[in-house]
Amino acid sequence: MKSGPTGLSRLERNWGILFALPPILGLCIFTVGPVIASFFISMTDWTIGSSWTFTGMDNYKTIFTEDPLFAKSLFATVYYSIGSIPLGLLLAFLVAFLLNQKVRGLSVFRTIYYLPAIVPSLANTMLWIWIFNPDFGLLNAVLKAAGLPTSQWIYGESTAIPSLILMSTWGIGNSVIIFLAGLQGVPSHLYEAVEVDGGGAWRKFIHITVPSMTPTIFFNLVLSLIGTFQIFNEAYIMTQGGPNNATLFYVFYLYRKAFTESKIGYASALAWILFLIIMVLTLVVFKTSSKWVYYEEGGKS
Amino acid sequence: MKSRLAIALLLLAILLNACSNGPSAEQSSSNAAAKPNETVNLKFMYWGSNEEKKAVDGMIKSFNDSHPGIKVTGEQVPGDYNTKMNTLMASNELPDVAYLPDSLASLWGEEGKLLDFTPYLKDNASLQNRLPLSFYYSAPGKPVGNATAAEVMVIYYNKDLFKEANLELPPAEASKAWTWDQFLEAAKKLTKDKNGKNATDPGFDPQNVVQYGFSFSTDRSSWGPLLASNGADITDASGTKYTMDSPEAVQVFQSLQDLIFKYHVSPNLTQQQNLPNNNILLQTKKVAMVIDGTWSLLDMSQTKMNYGMGVLPKFKEPKTMYISGASIIFSTTKHPKEAMEFYQFHNNPEQVDLYKIGLWMPVETQYYTEQDKIDSWTKNDAHPPEFKTAAIDYTLNNTVVSPSASLKNYPAINAKLAPALDLIFTNKKPAKEVLSDLKQEIEPLLSGKYPDK
Repeated sequence: MKSGPTGLSRLERNWGILFALPPILGLCIFTVGPVIASFFISMTDWTIGSSWTFTGMDNYKTIFTEDPLFAKSLFATVYYSIGSIPLGLLLAFLVAFLLNQKVRGLSVFRTIYYLPAIVPSLANTMLWIWIFNPDFGLLNAVLKAAGLPTSQWIYGESTAIPSLILMSTWGIGNSVIIFLAGLQGVPSHLYEAVEVDGGGAWRKFIHITVPSMTPTIFFNLVLSLIGTFQIFNEAYIMTQGGPNNATLFYVFYLYRKAFTESKIGYASALAWILFLIIMVLTLVVFKTSSKWVYYEEGGKS
Repeated sequence: MKSRLAIALLLLAILLNACSNGPSAEQSSSNAAAKPNETVNLKFMYWGSNEEKKAVDGMIKSFNDSHPGIKVTGEQVPGDYNTKMNTLMASNELPDVAYLPDSLASLWGEEGKLLDFTPYLKDNASLQNRLPLSFYYSAPGKPVGNATAAEVMVIYYNKDLFKEANLELPPAEASKAWTWDQFLEAAKKLTKDKNGKNATDPGFDPQNVVQYGFSFSTDRSSWGPLLASNGADITDASGTKYTMDSPEAVQVFQSLQDLIFKYHVSPNLTQQQNLPNNNILLQTKKVAMVIDGTWSLLDMSQTKMNYGMGVLPKFKEPKTMYISGASIIFSTTKHPKEAMEFYQFHNNPEQVDLYKIGLWMPVETQYYTEQDKIDSWTKNDAHPPEFKTAAIDYTLNNTVVSPSASLKNYPAINAKLAPALDLIFTNKKPAKEVLSDLKQEIEPLLSGKYPDK
């Protein structure tokens, strides 16, 4: 009481804690609590409506050794992520780069590219169900008009996931905005330096734009990694995991276990495995980032 | 400093107290409701269209008006009903009376989560005299609920298309049911390509079909009754041995596959998933015959088309399948007596007009056997004249219960079954191969059947 902070800062500290309590409590009650609970539940054989017993690691053992759908759903999810993340980043970067040029009607273009991102995901999927329709959908109509063979799109076992990857490029609006902000933050004196040295547009792009953008790319990469591993709506609304489980995405499989089969213990174990997978992947990306992410101020990642 | 800390703690205490006050206040009010001469509050949860909501709201209102001591609140659950119920069960916030999907009703019945009807049966004739197949049991002799309505699978058709093709209408009596070959012949003649040729004509173009003879969904509601008709089933009678690889089962699935890919009289799986509802399909003459539940009579009757109703084609015996959700009372209810009163009211044909408009069929046997009772719900525009034989007699005499209600662990079994059957309905593999491969996947999941009496 005698030394340390003055009365005013003590006062601020104490009241600060008090005012921060609602979100802290919210986090503890609605996030940390359920997370801990789900870990406990994952070690039981709880089927909703039945009594449960503690089974330790049995669920995890079953998942890894006896559940072919686990591997299948993980494969579908990884396949989708590997397809959609690079494609999405590349396209978003390209679009942002174009939108950063000084052309007429820029705000119209920006609006057009961002529009799909504010369409509710549900409306988006309904729209694409029509686009993918093999008989009178837009895509097959275009292919037919061009004299090309048509596709079964989301209704074919081998074409379902590529179709969804194609559809995912529709939603790059958010990444575009972030990239655009990044592009506008690239210091102009660096470009001037290239000009002074006689470098053209390509040199500017490769030696200034791309390195300056690596922190933004990194940020978008982590976000889309977390996002694509949790893909759900497309399977739930468009394909119901079919045909023949081709689009049985991990979170959809988990949902089905929990709420169709009522096997909440098993589903919790699946959720924890997904959590670990995403965490490991994110950590890997973070660890390697020091090799390729450049911070102008010389900051370390 | 000390006093400020005290104030802070006090504030925190007030905050926490305010939070925890919510449920306890509710608690005390519901305790008060339990006192005699006070209103008993009941919660009723159901799914369904807006049409159904209107009818259910009307039913609840007339119940509340005629029962001054009880107040029922209805809640229509849009979207995924299974998820909602599982969540409520897990958090122990169940309603008193509710619809339940058949597989959940069977599962939770066996787990003792549903109110045992045994003590109420002897005083309530309307509970006893119900269709035997409509009951759910927690153990042999212990009923825990009924199907909300009786619903079976039938054929609907557009009469105009039969007239155009100069064909006899599908039979409406089980004893005269078409054999599969007769049915196939009719379907062929009703399938037309864009040049107006039907599927029996030489030069028929299967790539450009404008009118299909028959359309079916690929779930149990289509193949279930046909399996039963051929004496086959997913499992043996004990529910522990896989039998879908029997020649009879293979014949059924191969016949369905052939409808699509050999005879081209039915749309394929992809087209099927993109087609509008059956009533629209028939009305727009995209399809001449469909298999659908008796509940679809409501949709059919709202179109202006000249539709008819018939029994399903048979392999050996004429059979149809009983497919319906359950209505139950949760054993957690604080007011079982009042809940039981409401339960008997909620699907009483004299109180609910869902019967007259064609959505529901009653579960009480008298509505199938006594003429004046039959007339009370079928003598109207929604029910065609052949309804008596094609739905009422058919339900009484030719019905098997859906595996989703009778077979334990059905949701998990179906999770394996449905993707494999996709292989048949997309012509990836012949039925025999798919069905024998399935044995090793399904057999570990089999754990018997629920009691059925």
